[in-house]
Formats: sequence, structure tokens, C-alpha cells
Amino acid sequence: MALVMDPAGDEIQALKKAASWRGRNVLEVGCGDGRLTLRLAGLGALSILAIDPDAALVREARKTLPERYRGRIRYQVGSVERLRRRRDQFDIAVLSWSL
Amino acid sequence: MVHALRKLHRLLKPDGLLLDLRPAAKHRRIGLGESRRWKSVAWMREDLTDDRAANRALKRAASLGLFQPEAKAEFDLDRVMDTLDDFREWMSDFPSGKLAPEDDRLYRRVERALGTARPGTRIVARGPLSLSVLRKQVGEENEGGH
Repeated sequence: MALVMDPAGDEIQALKKAASWRGRNVLEVGCGDGRLTLRLAGLGALSILAIDPDAALVREARKTLPERYRGRIRYQVGSVERLRRRRDQFDIAVLSWSL
Repeated sequence: MVHALRKLHRLLKPDGLLLDLRPAAKHRRIGLGESRRWKSVAWMREDLTDDRAANRALKRAASLGLFQPEAKAEFDLDRVMDTLDDFREWMSDFPSGKLAPEDDRLYRRVERALGTARPGTRIVARGPLSLSVLRKQVGEENEGGH
């Protein structure tokens, strides 16, 4: 399918303005195939835990994860309600088209 | 939805930021041509019930003292498609009932408009994205109940 999302990059520009990303620990909820995750990593996030309940999309995201981001991005299948993490862990949480 | 927001409140550091990015609760437009050459052909008539429920959940989380709204922005996001088949496939990704019974009528309008456009003209779905920025609030009243 030939579909290009946001060719002008308005979405990532808005996110860039909304927060200071460099060195931050980020939780992305609803990462899908990782389209936005990679852009967030490009903004300088220290680490990104990206979750989505759709296992097929998470598989796709893992498959297309560039080598340079392997130490910083971790994809996980699941929902935020069932995420088992200690409290006060993330600097920024992004609801990616998921609320 | 409020349950998910409570969980995010727990996971965020004190002073952490919550960014809620999603399509605004407004109908998208379908047009032909890109950027400034874009011309509207039709409106989509999606069911916006879920989008409005999400807005309410966010307001509820703020009223519970979990988050303090800091900023909100709205901007257009384009989805550019090469062919009618791409457009049809994109529409099929919507949850069942979100577009019906408008989807066939919409498809035919776009098909007619594309038939009179220059070869290579692309189909562009344009709709506003909403970005809400909220700051985690810490206080006795919202530390319980997680």
C-alpha cells in the first residue's frame, strides 16, 4: 500500500516543541508498528519502552528497528493497565493515538 | 480510559509529562493534490463517540488532580495515497461501523473527482491531530486508589 503519513512532519514537530526529549526515559503507549517510536528516538530520548496490544504490529516494529536504536528502544506486547513496572519510572508518557 | 490514566500517573516520575496525541474529535476531509494544491472533495462522517469519550476521560483525570493541563495544540495531518485502491484499503482499516453507511458514497465522490484530475494526482486525507500536554500532579488526594 502506498500511503505516506504526515509528509510535512508536522506531528513530530509538535512533539518536539511539547517537551525536552534529550536524556529522557519515555513510555509510548500504542506504538503500533513503531512509526512514531523511531521519530521519538530521533529527538534524543535516552530510552523508550514502546507498548501495543497488537502482537503482529509489535513484531513488525521489532523487525524494522534500526541497529542504531537497539539499545534504546524496547518493544513490548501489552496494555498500559497490565504493565508491570515500578512507579515513578518515566519522564514522559506518550499516548500515541491510543486513548 | 481513566484507569489507564491513573496507571500512567503512577508510572510517571514526579513532575513527569503526559502527552496525549490523537486525531481531534472532528471530521476529516478528503481532497486531491498535495500541500497548497490540495482541494477538498468530500468530508468523512466518522462516528466520533470514542474521541469524545477520550476527551472526557482526560478532563476527568485533571479534575481528580492527577494531571494539570499545560498546553494544547491542533494541527492538520495529511495521509497521502497514490491510488483509489490505497484509499479503499485505508478506509477499510477503520473499525466496522465507524464510517458506514457513508463509505461507499465517499469512495464514489473521490473516484469521480479523480477521474477529472490530472494523471498522477494523489488522494489526501486531511484531518486535525490534537496534542495535549499535561503535567503529573503529586498530592495526598491522588496517591491512593492505584
